[in-house]
Amino acid sequence: MKVIETNKLTKYYGKARGIIDVDLGIEKGELFGFIGPNGAGKSTTIRILLSLIYPTSGSAKILGKDVVEFGAEIKQDIGYLPSEVFYYDNMKVKDLLNYSASFYKKDCSKRIQELVEIMDLDTSKRIDDLSYGNKKKVGIVQGLLHNPKLIILDEPTGGLDPLMQQKFFNLLKEENNKGVTILLSSHILSEVQRLCDRVAIIKEGRIVNVEKMSDLAKSNYSRFKLELRNPIEEGLFTLDGVSGLKIENNSVSFMFKGDINTVTKIIASIDLLTLWVEEPDLEDIFLHYYE
Amino acid sequence: MNIVLRELKAHMKSLIAWSVGMFFLVLLGMVKYSGFAASGQSANDLFKGLPTLAALFGVQSVDLTTAIGFYSVLFLYILVMTSIHASLLGAEIISKEEQDKTAEFLFAKPVTRKHVVTSKLLASFINILILNLATLVSSVTVVAAYNKGESATSTILLLMVGMFFVQLIFLSIGMAAAAISKKPKLAAPAATSLLLATFFLSLWLDITSKLPDLKYLTPFKYFEAKTIINNATLNPLYIIISLGIIAVMLIAAYFRYSSRDLSI
Amino acid sequence: MNMLMHELRQNQKTTIIWTLSLVAGAALYLSLFPAFANETAALRKILEGYPPDFRKALGITIDSFASISGFYSFIIAFIMLAGSIQAMILGTSIVSKEERGKTAEFLLTKPVHRSQILTAKLVAALILILITNVVYMISVPLLLNAIAGATIALKTFLLLSLTLFFVQLFFLGLGFLISVSAPKIRSVLAVSLTTVFGFYTAGILDSIIGNTAIRYLTPFKYFDFSYIVKNGSYEIRFMVIEVVILILAITTSYYIYMKRDIRST
Repeated sequence: MKVIETNKLTKYYGKARGIIDVDLGIEKGELFGFIGPNGAGKSTTIRILLSLIYPTSGSAKILGKDVVEFGAEIKQDIGYLPSEVFYYDNMKVKDLLNYSASFYKKDCSKRIQELVEIMDLDTSKRIDDLSYGNKKKVGIVQGLLHNPKLIILDEPTGGLDPLMQQKFFNLLKEENNKGVTILLSSHILSEVQRLCDRVAIIKEGRIVNVEKMSDLAKSNYSRFKLELRNPIEEGLFTLDGVSGLKIENNSVSFMFKGDINTVTKIIASIDLLTLWVEEPDLEDIFLHYYE
Repeated sequence: MNIVLRELKAHMKSLIAWSVGMFFLVLLGMVKYSGFAASGQSANDLFKGLPTLAALFGVQSVDLTTAIGFYSVLFLYILVMTSIHASLLGAEIISKEEQDKTAEFLFAKPVTRKHVVTSKLLASFINILILNLATLVSSVTVVAAYNKGESATSTILLLMVGMFFVQLIFLSIGMAAAAISKKPKLAAPAATSLLLATFFLSLWLDITSKLPDLKYLTPFKYFEAKTIINNATLNPLYIIISLGIIAVMLIAAYFRYSSRDLSI
Repeated sequence: MNMLMHELRQNQKTTIIWTLSLVAGAALYLSLFPAFANETAALRKILEGYPPDFRKALGITIDSFASISGFYSFIIAFIMLAGSIQAMILGTSIVSKEERGKTAEFLLTKPVHRSQILTAKLVAALILILITNVVYMISVPLLLNAIAGATIALKTFLLLSLTLFFVQLFFLGLGFLISVSAPKIRSVLAVSLTTVFGFYTAGILDSIIGNTAIRYLTPFKYFDFSYIVKNGSYEIRFMVIEVVILILAITTSYYIYMKRDIRST
């Protein structure tokens, strides 16, 4: 049984596009990344999963149950950290955590204690008085305190310092090792690269591709960069498998996928100063999808 | 000027809604008059003889059978409505920057706090002036439509001038509340609480002759319809008091807003 | 239960302030009774000169008017106005505040049904209004005695004072419906104050002109105080209207809230 499964999930806000025909299947224990630029539909998808908003058509299931029909039941097992955290006025950190815990059918006090220590939170402070980063920490603790089976994170790391980010990611990995499934939405690639096993790329409301992170990074793309003694003819590198071709004065760069010999043959015919052939980073691949 | 324009634009919809609302308040109120004028003579006599009873019904020493007399009853509620508008406008126009976290945007620009307050004051002033004019036009046309006696236009004009002072008072109170309060959320509730307190005080003063000096405490007593209709002038003393309150409030607003920490 | 407690805690301060203000306001108005009683002697005489039909149209009966119950039935209109504002603000804010304060993403991602959320909020609002009324009903008879130097028949007092509760319920229901269907309203105060004063103004017009069709439109006129004092009961017709409006407002609220997208930011 898949932890998250969506079937042609579509959402329109009036006439404005939210997402179109999103099909996702996330297995138990996966660290799944969800990546795309602002406005691509990441948050819309997540909000449907949490039944904050309802799909226009299509359906979504979490742990085998339809999100619209069984929203409340499912959320017993979901931990959610929104991108921006705002909490009730006049509440201390511990009041909020206890209030959050009171929604779940289990005793969360021990887990709260652990998380507070890891996150280095002062629970006697009023939430209003906390800094942005500290509010975020409250958000993390309240999202994890009930040992959820599925953790959904929407652009989670903004406002956390690198050290805290590291702690937070370790925490997530620890949870993941226990079999918890994690859905991390982000537009920051390095974040996803560090954490996730698989990634879905979303663009203008549609899923463009779902790939294993290792496949994505180790795809047979190569990044070529050449510096030349003399300018070259425009059309020299226009061949199948080349993309992102850039020619500036005496330097050329492009991505290549295919039989590498076809390129090396061409290169052999020109007068080089230097040549780099690199494995592309995620950034390159990402841009590639968005071209 | 950019801030003024921005604020005018931001409040345009709400101002239109308020103006239309005032028109309907006047219209629906006066529609009822047409039914009343024919049959109301005896009620009018009764109210004349009994000040307390009249006060409980919200009518005092005016001839209810005339269009302007009937309008004067309505005037109190027109006054309350425009005062609510003014105090909320004053409180929110200042406090919203802190509440919506746009203060970080606005005050990172090369502007002084004083400049911001001045711009917002100007924008609010224009807003309440337009609402006042909208009410004036609605009142003059609707009352004229039902009026059978002499023209009431000059009286309505006086009433509206009086109302403008009350609007300004509540606007300045609202702005001061928002400028002074360290919790921007409390500004509007504080300003409207004061408004309600003074309103209920004025109702209280209507049915008693005890402690008449308390009338200086409530702007709803400064420009009452019955006195304006009977005397055909505004009392200069109250104009001076109004201007005094407005000045004190605005000075407090400028002074405090420039010197306090913004709550972000 | 947890949500209910949370709402009660969130609103306790405002409710205390409102309750104290209502009681203090009642005390201030009641303090005018002794002077009023003197005036009514003269009033009686004049009233007797008018034909009974006319008195009826104005909603005045000679007997009730000069008494403490008559006086109280006049001032309760003011207390009702204030109480309505309290109820309307409470109803209008209790659901919409989550989306305005961006706490909706907290609350609605918890394992609860939306209907449970609404129920908790509705019950909390009801309890808060009930507390206000209980405190009011206990303290005002004491004040009547102490300040106005008069006692009022218990049944009459309860019947008159309960109208506060019923009118508050009307505005609570109306506010609740607005809260659920228009979460984007920027200013709860503007909506609440203008709505309540609008209904109140309609009520005043009805008072001056005499019983008109406006009675059906404004809850301030559902309860004819002189009728209550005279007959010791409410008019069934208007109770039915009130109950129907409340049921409609609340069922519509549930219906809308279950179906609606929660839009944050």
